[in-house]
Amino acid sequence: MNNDKRFAMALIIPAAIIIAAVVVYPFVYNLVLSFSNMSLLHIRDWQIIGPRQYEKVFTEPRFYGILWKTLLWTVVNVTFHVTIGMALALVLYEKVPGKKLFRTLLILPWAIPPVVTALTWRGMFHYEYGAVNLILAKVLHQTPIQWLNDPVGTFAACIMTNVWLGFPFMMIVALGGLQSIPHDLYEAATMDGANAWQRFKTVTLPMLKPVMTPAIVLGFVWTFNKVDIVWLVSNGGEPADSTHILVSYVYRAAFNLYRYGYAAAFSVIIFLILMAFSLVFMRMQREKATPA
Amino acid sequence: MRFVMRFLILLLILAFTGCRRDDGIVRLQLWNQMLPEDRALLESLVKSYEAIHQNVRVEVIYKETEDLRSSFQTASLAGLGPDLIFGPSDQIGPFATMGFVRSLEDLIDAKRMSELDSVALVSFRGHIYQIADRVGNHLTFVWNTKLLSHAPENTDEMIEMGREATKDLNGDGKVDQWGIVWNFTEPYFFIPWLSGFGGWVFDANGKPTLNTPAAANAFKFVKSLRDQYKIIPPDCDYNMADVLFKEGRAAMLVNGPWSWTGYERGGVPFELARIPRISATGLWPAPMVSPMGYSISANSKGKRLPEAVRLLEYLISDSVQKRFVSEIGVIPSSRVLRADTALLSRPHMANSLAQLEVGKPMPIEPELRAVWDAMRPAYQSVLGGTMSPENAAVRMQKDAENKIREMNE
Repeated sequence: MNNDKRFAMALIIPAAIIIAAVVVYPFVYNLVLSFSNMSLLHIRDWQIIGPRQYEKVFTEPRFYGILWKTLLWTVVNVTFHVTIGMALALVLYEKVPGKKLFRTLLILPWAIPPVVTALTWRGMFHYEYGAVNLILAKVLHQTPIQWLNDPVGTFAACIMTNVWLGFPFMMIVALGGLQSIPHDLYEAATMDGANAWQRFKTVTLPMLKPVMTPAIVLGFVWTFNKVDIVWLVSNGGEPADSTHILVSYVYRAAFNLYRYGYAAAFSVIIFLILMAFSLVFMRMQREKATPA
Repeated sequence: MRFVMRFLILLLILAFTGCRRDDGIVRLQLWNQMLPEDRALLESLVKSYEAIHQNVRVEVIYKETEDLRSSFQTASLAGLGPDLIFGPSDQIGPFATMGFVRSLEDLIDAKRMSELDSVALVSFRGHIYQIADRVGNHLTFVWNTKLLSHAPENTDEMIEMGREATKDLNGDGKVDQWGIVWNFTEPYFFIPWLSGFGGWVFDANGKPTLNTPAAANAFKFVKSLRDQYKIIPPDCDYNMADVLFKEGRAAMLVNGPWSWTGYERGGVPFELARIPRISATGLWPAPMVSPMGYSISANSKGKRLPEAVRLLEYLISDSVQKRFVSEIGVIPSSRVLRADTALLSRPHMANSLAQLEVGKPMPIEPELRAVWDAMRPAYQSVLGGTMSPENAAVRMQKDAENKIREMNE
């Protein structure tokens, strides 16, 4: 090994040790626990019991309902994040008066701690005194909605809160991507007679794809695992434990009912779902980008 | 190159050994979930302790109740965590079952323990795992003295007074001032009504007893307050109840001692009383009474253990308890202080003690978590109008049994 390689190794080893300690070890430990009976009564004397915890997860009818809800939660959120984020980025990319002010204001939801945002929105969804119902009743003359007493209403409230929180990230990513698109391409398209929609479809979208694809994958993974918003807006899955997504359900199993083995198996399944999605999505994007 | 390698190795060694200092000072950690006023007093008392015990440094760390519980579990599993932990007694069952806390009967002076109220010695399966410096932490009836002339004696009177107090003040067709409020989302706040109708969460053998006529009747009663008498809001969580009472828009409230300082500071004219007797049964509602105190972690070892014991003895001493009584207004666990009528003459203390007399100790079995988890959805479904009280009682019992079975697998 020459000196350069040794030097490179010396720089990598500390990071590798830390990654092994905080990522690899917990992951392997969780994997082992998922095959164990670790629970309240077997916290120290736990044993490997094979795939029984996985069987429990897959034979529990509730799992499929919560999985479906989690997918819905993720797809709806990411769709809104990307759509709103890109739309705002396109507006901010143009020469609009007060552009800097708007950009700052639009990044604000991202800058506020999610706990504060979630609790503020929970207050805003209150049936009698919340701003949302007051606007519905007094401005739009509509019947107020029982947001937080109804499973659909609460789930919608969680989604709205998370959309508010999530679009600034996509907006920033899209803005960065827009700035890297050469202006010549737009000029050429204009000379070819392309209208605004055609320029967007044939220049902006394809050029944004390399930037937006990893952001969408990240957004999907983050949203799928976004326990804080669901937990705080729905106050731990209310009403009647009907607003859980997979991660909030796992949290309850592990920390309320001390079912560590079961919760570990559940989290491995979540990991596999997310890994499968990421691999398939990235491959699809690569195949689309590579001409046959 | 060799220099760089040596430098990196030195850095790594320093990074992994720098946290262990052997300067003769014993460093303890105390985790707590106290309210800000209590916490400030605790910190000043700990500073006084450090001034006397120069070889001890105590790091006081605050965590919110649920975070305290889950962080302590995680840290204990990793062989880490605090030396002392302060919290409510209901966390002792799980902690003791999992072996995260030490039994205290052989560590703490027996004479000192005999000087405390017996409920302050929180035991589980024959061993003491927590020693409380305060008892109570119970729900009490709070009423606004500007809106009501006296506290209702029974629920019939409470309903009558509630109807008079429920008002649309600005004539917009919406109620602006409510008769009575409390946190409808947490079953802990349902317990007084459940017990007032003769129910409780466990039988003498620790089995859940949720499918009872008492549970169904208590559900019907709460539902009637909202749908029939319309004296409670359609939907109310803890913050909403708190804000409505603080703003003088609720005549009556059910809340615990942690909230009173806020009402005093907010200038709300209020008094405490027992939660009114249930007219249908003649029983006093019995809120759960929970001591709060200190436990020693199983991971407190070596030189730290005797110092943790010494600190615990200081924190439950009469001198420390006296400060908490006089400055915060807690109900002390010390029998000597409880006999001190002058000390307990603080505003609201007598009425809080009156409520305490009819309360019931909060169970400390780990299965209580499963009971709360089973009660919450049923209670919310009844109030949401999606389940009848009778079906909710059946479902609570079934869910509690299932969850307990899952917990104990």
